[in-house]
Amino acid sequence: MTTLGGRLYAGLPTSVRRLVPVDLRSDLRARFAAWEPGDLGFEPAPPPVAPGEHPGPPDFLVLGPPESGARWWLSLIEDHPDVAPTRDPEGAAHALDRYCTEAFDDEQVARFHRRFPRRPGRIIGHWSSDGLSYPWIAPLLAVAAPRAKVLVLVRDPVDLVADRVVATAARRAPHPGSSLADAVDRGFVGAQVARLRELFPADAVRVLQYERCRADSTGALAATYRFLGVPVPDGPALPHPADGTTPAPAERLDAATRARLWAMYVDDTALLSELVPDLDLGRWPSSGSGA
Amino acid sequence: MATAPLWQPEAVRPPEFVRRAFRDLPPNVRTVLLHARGDYAPWEAGYDAAPPSPGPGEVVGPPDFVGIGVQKAGTSWWYELVSEHPGVFDRPDLPKERHFLTRFCTEPFGPGDVEEFHRWFPRPHGSITGEWTPEYLAYPWVAPLLAQAAPDAKLLVLVRDPIDRFRSGSAFRLSMGAPDTSLTVADAVRQGVTARWLRWYLRFFPSDQVLVQQYEQCRADPEGQLAVTYDFLGLDPYRPADVRREVNVGARAKVEFDPAAEARLVDVYREDVSDLARLVPTLDLSLWPSFADHGVTR
Repeated sequence: MTTLGGRLYAGLPTSVRRLVPVDLRSDLRARFAAWEPGDLGFEPAPPPVAPGEHPGPPDFLVLGPPESGARWWLSLIEDHPDVAPTRDPEGAAHALDRYCTEAFDDEQVARFHRRFPRRPGRIIGHWSSDGLSYPWIAPLLAVAAPRAKVLVLVRDPVDLVADRVVATAARRAPHPGSSLADAVDRGFVGAQVARLRELFPADAVRVLQYERCRADSTGALAATYRFLGVPVPDGPALPHPADGTTPAPAERLDAATRARLWAMYVDDTALLSELVPDLDLGRWPSSGSGA
Repeated sequence: MATAPLWQPEAVRPPEFVRRAFRDLPPNVRTVLLHARGDYAPWEAGYDAAPPSPGPGEVVGPPDFVGIGVQKAGTSWWYELVSEHPGVFDRPDLPKERHFLTRFCTEPFGPGDVEEFHRWFPRPHGSITGEWTPEYLAYPWVAPLLAQAAPDAKLLVLVRDPIDRFRSGSAFRLSMGAPDTSLTVADAVRQGVTARWLRWYLRFFPSDQVLVQQYEQCRADPEGQLAVTYDFLGLDPYRPADVRREVNVGARAKVEFDPAAEARLVDVYREDVSDLARLVPTLDLSLWPSFADHGVTR
């Protein structure tokens, strides 16, 4: 429960909070219970259930590393009239983070379900990056939402790392090695998809390639709707997506650095290609980098 | 270019009551005060990575040995014992963990950087020298950099029951003021993955250049295991005093688990531990009851 001090702290403009030394910010958040997404204490109250709505497990999950476009893809899915938008996407995305060392039983499952109220006839889902990358979370998702359809967004892993480094640099991570390792780890999507295939039925896991989604949003979204079992609406093609991701980072990495990073992912990408035969490696700038 | 380390606790030694009061401050307040005077740890973003100047009679070059893992597996204790050997040079103003290569993940790494790396390893003629950055094993981008900068270095790895290591690592990070976040937990989980990254390093270093020892065996028989380390490093037999000393034990409070959550974490590590046992024949799985009791075998 957020304290009064927490509400005051959280209400401060970002520019003011940035005046607090970075090493003290987590202490203040803990002191005032002013939790932010990613803090283990972050557990906002589930959204209220409106008349006619019922909570339940999410019908689908959109998993993908940060900078993979997963959040953008969820926003497109939620434009469909048969899809109920998640009212608290951050609360849903981080709902299971804390259960690495804590009990996760029927009570926690029911609490998770309360995050997904929807009217009859509509489906609901949520986005998560940690659900793909942090190994303790996917097994919990399989317990809490065993019949969910799982969409996984994948992207050139070196581009992911490069973009992530830029994104986290602005936050002045006090322990840069951990942040770099986190970014690198999230790129091993082949192993992560293999784990999902052990936890969910094979036909319930669908991998989407970010670069293809950008190139043909309309076609990829239609395929997504069919996978989710909702009718593909008639209408004009989607405009070129303005998804907020940064431009391709090719210019930020010299060829030798890109090749060195790509070498880490060659085996994992081979595994991903086995699992996803239509993966188009030609769309990944790194795959031709010579490693 | 730095000619002296940033942190010289012996050079400016405040009275005991001041130091005690400082130690009693919350860890992040201590950190802010240290940063205010330009004092950063080697793993922090503000650390001055400029190499030290060689002392009189010292030469620089690639390290003869580099400890690459794993965090909270007794590496400070073992490094201290290794450094006490008369054939090993450990300049007291240089940190055990250089962390030099960490920052080159997405940065170019060229001959100038290799030369700078070498300058972090001064030693008199006839001595060997090295360092131990326990996170390197879980930082896969470091392996090719280390192979480029020190292809003949011998690599040391201490491994520990991943569940015990996770408990200890989590408690340590929190005691150091790390935020209680999923990123911190994920880092503690990652640091316990060993075989996967060991296989990666073995692509860059021949297996006879890598020594993996088990923390629990070192605790049970430090003299015998230390003799193995010395022999691997090409050092003559030597017996340091008080080999069972406690070094950098850190936070006593350990992270407690819900039993079902512990079983889930065992599942996370199961395959990696089994692979490690195949990779390291001397690994005694009976010393890791979390896994032996859950039927993990080679």
